[in-house]
Amino acid sequence: MARRSSPARLVIALSVAAMLAVFLLYTSIAGGTPQLRPSQLNGRTNEVSLVGKVVAPVQRNGRTLRFHVKDVEGGSATRLPVTYTGSVPDMFKAGRDISLDGRLRNGTFVGTSGTLVTKCPSKYTAKKS
Amino acid sequence: MPELGRAALIVCLGLALYAAAAGAFAARRRRQRLAESAENAILASFAAAAVAAIVLLVALVQNDFSLVYVADHTSRELPLGYTISAFWGGQEGSLLLWLLILTAFSTIAVLLGRRSARSLLAWTVPVLGAVIVFFSFVLVAVSSPFATQVAPPDGAGLNPSLQNPYMLAHPPMLYLGFVGLTIPFAFAMGALLARRSDELWIVLTRRWTLVAWTFLGFGQLLGAHWAYVEVGWGGYFAWDPVENAALMPWLAATAFLHSVMIQEKRGMLRIWNVLLVIGAFGLALFGTFLTRSGIISSIHSFTESSIGPWFLGFIGVVLAASTALVLSRLPLLRSKTRLESPVSREATFLYNNLLLVAFCLTILWGVLYPILTEAVRGEPITVGPPYYNFFLKAFGLPLLLLMGIGPLIAWRRASLRGLGRTFAWPAAFALVCGALLLVAGAGSSIPGLVGYTFCAFVLASITLEFARGTRARHALSSGSWGGAFASLIGRNRRRYGGYIVHASIVLLAVGVVGSSAYDTVAEKRLRPGETMAIGDYSLRYKEVRQRRGPNSQEVRALVDVSRDGKRLGTMEPGKNRYFAEQQVSNEAAIRSDRLNGEDLFLIADQIDDDGTLFLKALVKPLVNVIWIAGFVFLGGAAIALWPDAREQRRLAVRYGGRESLVRV
Repeated sequence: MARRSSPARLVIALSVAAMLAVFLLYTSIAGGTPQLRPSQLNGRTNEVSLVGKVVAPVQRNGRTLRFHVKDVEGGSATRLPVTYTGSVPDMFKAGRDISLDGRLRNGTFVGTSGTLVTKCPSKYTAKKS
Repeated sequence: MPELGRAALIVCLGLALYAAAAGAFAARRRRQRLAESAENAILASFAAAAVAAIVLLVALVQNDFSLVYVADHTSRELPLGYTISAFWGGQEGSLLLWLLILTAFSTIAVLLGRRSARSLLAWTVPVLGAVIVFFSFVLVAVSSPFATQVAPPDGAGLNPSLQNPYMLAHPPMLYLGFVGLTIPFAFAMGALLARRSDELWIVLTRRWTLVAWTFLGFGQLLGAHWAYVEVGWGGYFAWDPVENAALMPWLAATAFLHSVMIQEKRGMLRIWNVLLVIGAFGLALFGTFLTRSGIISSIHSFTESSIGPWFLGFIGVVLAASTALVLSRLPLLRSKTRLESPVSREATFLYNNLLLVAFCLTILWGVLYPILTEAVRGEPITVGPPYYNFFLKAFGLPLLLLMGIGPLIAWRRASLRGLGRTFAWPAAFALVCGALLLVAGAGSSIPGLVGYTFCAFVLASITLEFARGTRARHALSSGSWGGAFASLIGRNRRRYGGYIVHASIVLLAVGVVGSSAYDTVAEKRLRPGETMAIGDYSLRYKEVRQRRGPNSQEVRALVDVSRDGKRLGTMEPGKNRYFAEQQVSNEAAIRSDRLNGEDLFLIADQIDDDGTLFLKALVKPLVNVIWIAGFVFLGGAAIALWPDAREQRRLAVRYGGRESLVRV
């Protein structure tokens, strides 16, 4: 009996085990990126994904943007200085919510080129930004 | 008018409640007349939903800004096509479209079921009624498209990025796909509630699943093309939560389409199939919840709204009720046969299912990861494209290989010698192709090389299958080879339609691998007159030109393109500055090469006032094969869907006799 039913069970068990192994292998090598608000950064210098609202003024110098971000919600007074060099989405401007990958260097958040993403204002139920 | 819309929705809710309650009572007590009346309530709910939809459509076309929904999503100067597309441009309208399609599909299912499966319908109608109750309740009580206000002079307009012809096709197609998955779910639950142990529900809903799956697949490809030509970052899929939300039910439905064949032919995987159909429907609901609740940050940020908890609650009820039902009917769902060998057609289908479901679950894990980590560790952690791309390779490449093996391997138990005979030619062809590609320099990406070798293997095995079938048919009849080929497909539509869909997936893989594993990117700061090189192309930046469009200022960088010294023309990447919306939109320039399917993609990242241009150029080999794959996919799906009189007769013989024995 056990002999007869073995192929199906064996196949499933082996496949599941193989997939789990692949999964563990991946998650042990590469983790994810923490998603933080400006007020949560607190001097951390590892790679994070910063989510915040752009505060005017936005200075543009060639390809480099300099601005501050604050928390999207809540009354935190944190204003985090940000520099970013690279492609800028169409919707980017002061007052927009953005997400930007990067890390803190000497008190300034330095964004990774190509990771600046803007979110649509809630007036629209937009599909693409 | 808005009163009429509101009233129609309330009537729809009442009818659905009746269909659910009376239908369940009738099925339990076996009251034929009452069951028919519940069926009629489903038909009437479609009429009510249609009235509500017409009211909203008329209000949109007439710019009736006293309706909040109309004022929020249209404006006076918006062209008619986009005014109509505003129907699904916002949440309330989308839900109404969902209800409309749901009641329409339910009506068709009831009318078709009356002819072929009266007994199965008895418990299916209350399930359909219950789902309609949920959607009409949300529209009546939580998120009404008919809320009124004092009419403002003009509406807010539709987001410029939605003013695109794709807006007319992409969202409705996804809805047709999402909602279509309700019907197989309802029939599966209906069969379980009626304590039926046969395969009738699967036979009846095969086309429904196929239709929903086709719409979902093609709709996603349309969305990918939209992103590619309009959004202008040079990609077509970004593993964004909202994109994943549409991909997951499609993967579950793909697994289901394959595993039902095993149940039909061998009576196996019966619990698995029920779970898959529940999963596909649950994922379709989850997709809506995800996009509408604002719980996960996405580039496609929709309005955060109050319907999130309602959807979450409904998903919970659906999953709990259907799981409890499956558990209580476990004895009915015992397999009739066992898997005899790990090397057989059944086993390959099983591997295919495990891989598809594993891939689907990994995506779900990635989507939920920020929520889970926030709950456990206090801060959300996101996983990006590298995570998904890793699993696309880990699960996608074996799936590709199985696509070449599955259709050719013997049922029940395949012998090693038989395998050698069957796969000698495809394997040899694949190895030769792989070697040639390696010589041609495709070794720069190992997953790419493996992917292409597998593609060659699958194409060879599909071609071989067509050739063998045509030869056999030609030997039987004395007609032409073309006639033999046509009759081969015509007589086995499911099978050969399926092979054509497989070929389209191979094309998709060819395009995706080419454009992602072998692409080239270059960025450069250019002054007028300067050149940059990318691949074989040479780009010379001439000048900036400005012109006034109908509602925007159009800035274009004129770039002369040549390849190997031969001039190919001028491309004009640039930006549009919209006056009314005060918004800039990136206008990428794309040059497609008809001969090799390659695209040269230019993005004017920044154009300074002094004429300095920051130009980003991408060469994406074979990307156009992806779009061709979409049409092959549609063609294959259409062949598999086409009504087959022979099949109908066969099924009538198989289930017709028993049907008369099972009385409601």
